[in-house]
Amino acid sequence: MIIQELSLIQKTHSYLPADELQALSRRLNVPLYRLHGLASFYPHFRLQPPPQVDIRVCHDMACLLRGAADLQAIARTAVDASPVTDAQVGTTACLGQCDGAPAIVVNDQIYTDASAQRIVSLLDSLASGRTLRRQRYIAPDTAYVCDPYNGAPTYDALRRLAHGGDANAVIDALKASGLRGMGGAGFPTGVKWELVRQAPGETKYVICNADESEPGTFKDRVILQTLPDLVLEGMALAALAVGGRKAIIYIRHEYARQRDVLLKTLRQRQDEGILGSYMMGSAQHVEFEIFESPGGYICGEETALLEALEDRRAEPRHKPPFPGTHGLFGAPTLLNNVETFAMVPGIVLNGGDWWAGHGMNGAKGLKFLAVSGQVKNPGVYEVPLGITVHKLIERAGGMRYGRTLKAFAPGGASSGFLPAGMADIPLDFRTLAEAGSMLGSGAVVVVGDDVCMLELALNVGRFFRNESCGKCVPCRVGSEKIVTLLEGILAGRGSWADLELIEELSDTMALTSICGLGQAAPNPILSVIKHFKDDITRYIKGSG
Amino acid sequence: MTSKGNSGHQPPATGHRASSIRITMDGQPLDVAPGATLYEAAQRAGIDIPVLCHSPKLEPVGVCRMCVVEVEGSRVLQAACVRQAEDGMVVRTNSDKTTRSRAMLTELLMSDYPKPVASDQEPVTSERQLLTTSHRPLAPALKPDLLLELAAAQGVTTPRFPARPLLTSFDNGRDLSSSVIAVDHNACILCDRCIRACDDVQCNDVIGRVGKGYTARIAFDNDLPMGQSSCVSCGECMAACPTGALTDKPLTLPLLADADHKQVDSLCPYCGVGCSITYTVDTKANTIVQVSGRASPVNHGRLCVKGRYGFDYVHHGERLLAPLIRKPASYPKSIEPPADPRQAFREATWDEALDLAAQRFTAIRAAHGSQALAGFGSAKCSNEDNYLFQKLIRAVFGTNNVDHCTRLCHASSVAALLDQIGGGSVSNPFSDALDTDAIFIIGSNTTHNHPVAATFIKQAANAGATLIVADPRRPEIADHADHYVRFNPGTDVAFLNGLMHVIIREGLHDAEFIEKCTEAFDRLRDTVIAYTPRLVSRLTGVPEQKVIDVARAYGRASRAMIFWGMGISQHTTGTDNARCLINLALLTGNIGRPGTGLHPLRGQNNVQGASDVGLIPMVYTGYQSVADADVRRKFEAVWGVGLDPEPGLTVVEIMSAVLEGNIRAMFMMGENPFLSDPNINKVKKCLAGMDFLAVQDIFLTETAAYADVILPGTSFPEKTGTFTNTDSRVQLARQAIDPPGQVRDDWRIIVDLAARMGYPMSYASEEAIWREIVSLTPVFTGITYERLEDQGIPWPCPEAEHPGVPIRFTDGFPRGKGKFEAAEFAPAKELPDADYPLVLNTGRVLQHWHTGTMTRRAKALDAMVPEALLEMTPADMGALNIEDGERVRVVSRRGEITVKVMASAKPSTGSVFLPFHFKEAAANLLTIDALDPYGKIPEFKFCAVRVEKIAERAGGS
Repeated sequence: MIIQELSLIQKTHSYLPADELQALSRRLNVPLYRLHGLASFYPHFRLQPPPQVDIRVCHDMACLLRGAADLQAIARTAVDASPVTDAQVGTTACLGQCDGAPAIVVNDQIYTDASAQRIVSLLDSLASGRTLRRQRYIAPDTAYVCDPYNGAPTYDALRRLAHGGDANAVIDALKASGLRGMGGAGFPTGVKWELVRQAPGETKYVICNADESEPGTFKDRVILQTLPDLVLEGMALAALAVGGRKAIIYIRHEYARQRDVLLKTLRQRQDEGILGSYMMGSAQHVEFEIFESPGGYICGEETALLEALEDRRAEPRHKPPFPGTHGLFGAPTLLNNVETFAMVPGIVLNGGDWWAGHGMNGAKGLKFLAVSGQVKNPGVYEVPLGITVHKLIERAGGMRYGRTLKAFAPGGASSGFLPAGMADIPLDFRTLAEAGSMLGSGAVVVVGDDVCMLELALNVGRFFRNESCGKCVPCRVGSEKIVTLLEGILAGRGSWADLELIEELSDTMALTSICGLGQAAPNPILSVIKHFKDDITRYIKGSG
Repeated sequence: MTSKGNSGHQPPATGHRASSIRITMDGQPLDVAPGATLYEAAQRAGIDIPVLCHSPKLEPVGVCRMCVVEVEGSRVLQAACVRQAEDGMVVRTNSDKTTRSRAMLTELLMSDYPKPVASDQEPVTSERQLLTTSHRPLAPALKPDLLLELAAAQGVTTPRFPARPLLTSFDNGRDLSSSVIAVDHNACILCDRCIRACDDVQCNDVIGRVGKGYTARIAFDNDLPMGQSSCVSCGECMAACPTGALTDKPLTLPLLADADHKQVDSLCPYCGVGCSITYTVDTKANTIVQVSGRASPVNHGRLCVKGRYGFDYVHHGERLLAPLIRKPASYPKSIEPPADPRQAFREATWDEALDLAAQRFTAIRAAHGSQALAGFGSAKCSNEDNYLFQKLIRAVFGTNNVDHCTRLCHASSVAALLDQIGGGSVSNPFSDALDTDAIFIIGSNTTHNHPVAATFIKQAANAGATLIVADPRRPEIADHADHYVRFNPGTDVAFLNGLMHVIIREGLHDAEFIEKCTEAFDRLRDTVIAYTPRLVSRLTGVPEQKVIDVARAYGRASRAMIFWGMGISQHTTGTDNARCLINLALLTGNIGRPGTGLHPLRGQNNVQGASDVGLIPMVYTGYQSVADADVRRKFEAVWGVGLDPEPGLTVVEIMSAVLEGNIRAMFMMGENPFLSDPNINKVKKCLAGMDFLAVQDIFLTETAAYADVILPGTSFPEKTGTFTNTDSRVQLARQAIDPPGQVRDDWRIIVDLAARMGYPMSYASEEAIWREIVSLTPVFTGITYERLEDQGIPWPCPEAEHPGVPIRFTDGFPRGKGKFEAAEFAPAKELPDADYPLVLNTGRVLQHWHTGTMTRRAKALDAMVPEALLEMTPADMGALNIEDGERVRVVSRRGEITVKVMASAKPSTGSVFLPFHFKEAAANLLTIDALDPYGKIPEFKFCAVRVEKIAERAGGS
């Protein structure tokens, strides 16, 4: 409510003028500090009028590996040369367009594979007073194994459950499949559904977490774009199974195109009587809502997401209690990732064993992996769990520009980096945990031999520092200290004691941070100290 | 504000069915209550866990992580302050992991913490100096720095991390814009204590976090400098802050780092809430350097701006330090006060001054009889002072003409309560607000006039209690209300009768209670039957549906409380207004149980006590009637003199009697009728017209300027004595500083005067006086200084070990049955007309106290609100072409003033509001001295005025 009101004001004024905040404070009888606290927390909101031209270059891992730093310099030059006087060039956090790196945002429109030429032509359009149009999109022609309908969704799984189906059987199938949360935490899905089903409560919520924002992560974007019906059906099945009255899709605001697809699909299915009121003739009314996140990586943390939905600063809650019993507005809440929901209809129709049977190298099931960085064909690949990184890179066309593999992040920025020598590890929850890493958000970032791993660790360190909500001391202060120390080392002021200090700090961050962000924020630099020490040694005086 | 209730992030305590939970902590088996946190469990077991962000007064937030403990089976450490104990949990509070982590967290915070500088040990002599020194010198002894203490305990001396660059906003992170609190953002560790103190405890909703991550800060409103924000300077944030981020600015300079400080537990000298405080005193300089809130059942350690930052008046240069006698050249007294009243007096010795007073009082008594004398005591003085004062007037002067400003505040409420219930005090303590379902506030600007009581009401509203606020002028507490009702000024009776009409019509009244515990219900029903919502709407301007909604909200609550203030009592219909409220409570059975009842919020810190000890013309201590022969005989026996059987005159009646020549001499202790009484022009004539006036006060007040002799009394922190708050809780104030100059204890002055008039009194101490009061007053029987300690006792306390009665009338009313007393609507005495088209309402502002004698001499308070502002709606301003901030003339049939206008949406169109604290624009030059026939209270809240542009008349003349 408040966040939507703020968004409306920004839509009208293109920022949040102080007098409008005052008026809103009076109208909603909400203290001013709270409005300002929200407006200054979420990156989507502006407290100052925007410039006529606002160019922001993504500076996170995947874009960095594809020349984002140069592109920013190019953008500056282009702006200086253009007739536009009121222009600003800045940076933005990962846009989830890592397959189209480098990505930029110009006046809130996202452009991928950005180049000098593109920037100049955009500036020309703006100088001549035209409004920017959304970049064209060409749908891939891919069939997915997980799709039981082969691209022609019939909602058979939902129909079966609605017409006298057994919710417990659905949960049993999920358990049998071994499906785990695909957002990063990997909690067994069937167990979670059962927990929420059994939690007492009149009102229960089903929430789809479509807020993937970790550098390198974009698999959910592709699923939302190409398989929206599977996601919606998965949510509807969940609502029936756990007794959810309201189903909310929490989507990052940068995914405007996917939001439109979802909205269109949802409207259509509602008109067809498939979703919504007494869907498929079931006795249960489920209200669907799409909530656009006002921004920030932290909103992907499930309890931070709940805070955002409750119109508060997205600061993670203490756990326990867990959302399954005390979630949105204190009610039992089932929170799953986009991919998790998308896997459900297939499992319900074809059985848990069918899904589990797709794995390899001892792993079970299917997985969408986003491959980015220095490969020829970055993109999202549906693979059997347990595939090796070598095989995955092969599927992505091999290394780009003839580079040699130096390192890879198997599960997004927070999984840290593994050396090329470990590229034969099957990509699975268990094996990666054993290797001291994680499958995380299903984002495999491929790093070539020309990259300094310390610089990369600093880049990721800055991401976590910037995205820390600031609620708890270890993450807020610790993430800032990691960056300062790494900057010092890169500037030649570092010492071995600094590395020891970072390790000591990392231990405390991992042990005492409230949420996964702070707990995992040291992973990248720890992995570089462990596997790529040479990349650090050369900056430290007095060492070889 | 809007959000009702907790959204329930914490599982309800009822989630656990077990009556107790067993955990193992540091190898020790512990039984803890379900819902208890690990921190609470550790506290109970005497295990020390360090904390920074946690305070038992606040909801835990677990953000500093200092209290992390190891819970077996858990991958990460758990914050003990938020983690609930679960059966079978094995917890280690002092493992290698926890110790290591705590030290690292401390080191992180210390690395960004401002470094002490050499000048920290130098005395602070100017506020500006704060900018150039580190954050810590403000009052090193006054506020412990928990972070520095932790760092010292953990041996974190030289943090290894590079320091974060200092903030550049707010003068390098220093925000000194508030008059009373210094903000150092660089010393802020974002523990959120101030946020919770402001938003959850005081419910002022000013402080929050701004920004995100490592750039996050605390901010006031929409990131304004503190002094420009909506902050009301209660200081709760400062008190909650564990570091040097929020500190008190020194009010009494210089502050010496090596001063010898002592702490004295006492009470706040301002309003009837009666907050417990602790004075910190520099004993070498005999100076109060700080006031802090003290935990007690009354205020839970909370204070408001006056209580915390209004203490320096006692050290003001204008204090009376020696007795003064009017110079011969200054006779005859002029009606207009002299420009510099000091010039009219010369210093005198105590003997001279007391002899003079004694001679004149004795002479006038001899010439004109006892009834030619009168006295005003003070609701600011202690029970002991006031008891001796009324004893002096009654036993020595020989008259019952003794009264005080209760006449100007709740006399009408008391009259109605005594009549219908049989007891004049409140029925339930204000903190019962936390234990009720509905709260009805009418005629009370609670957040300004009883700020700490208001915090309990706001907290209750935030927790889900229904809050109804009715007032012609929209008070700020309406921001927290479910229903705000703006009714036409002076139509209280009509509105309240309308509520009762609906309650009866809809069967929401408590028939069983009415049958068992009340009488005369038929009369009420027959009266309110005419007050249909339609008629009430026409009389009051309140929409019909609103009348119905509010009646249902109050009527349907199973427990409901009523709070009221001067908006009810200060009318010619004041007693009728109060009657309606009593009727409403009786009608719904909302009295005699926890979370119900009637609470007229008392104004002065000891207005309850002054009345309790007989500072009113009709009764002795404990409301024992002077007309009752048995009672009188008891007092005559103890006092050893014959007493006047006739009740005396009240405040405004005494003033009139002076003008009529019937009263010729007065003794006034701590009262300033010049500014506090209605129709100042009449008061002036009366003050100037007396044959003899002795004034005892701490400053040369507007009233004292008319005196023949002025006796310098003690200020609050110079006194020991008992004071009785709005809850009727008797509390003990203790002397914190020595009186300056020749200042003498108020009670000793009375003793000295009485002796000179041939009536020796002998008391060893204040406590001896209290014992005499108790001996004469059955309701105080069990109250001794020893038992009062730091919590006080709510009277009645009829036996030695009796705990007192916080909730009254649980088994019946003192008069037997509660009596319904129906009232009919009657308009105010002076309605607006073509010549005087606006309604003037008067009252107070948060930062000032009554006639400003104290607060206008308190540096910070006077700086915050240095002058009177006339609140006027933009519509009324527009009609007269008046700009915001323009000086205008306000004229009534009795006088005129000039004052600055402030545009405000608080008054209704057609009404203006003026505070009465300011002698430069004295509201009571305008007010009418029409009286309520029962309570004899003047109609301060309603008279007709006109507002003129100053230029207009100047041009016309």
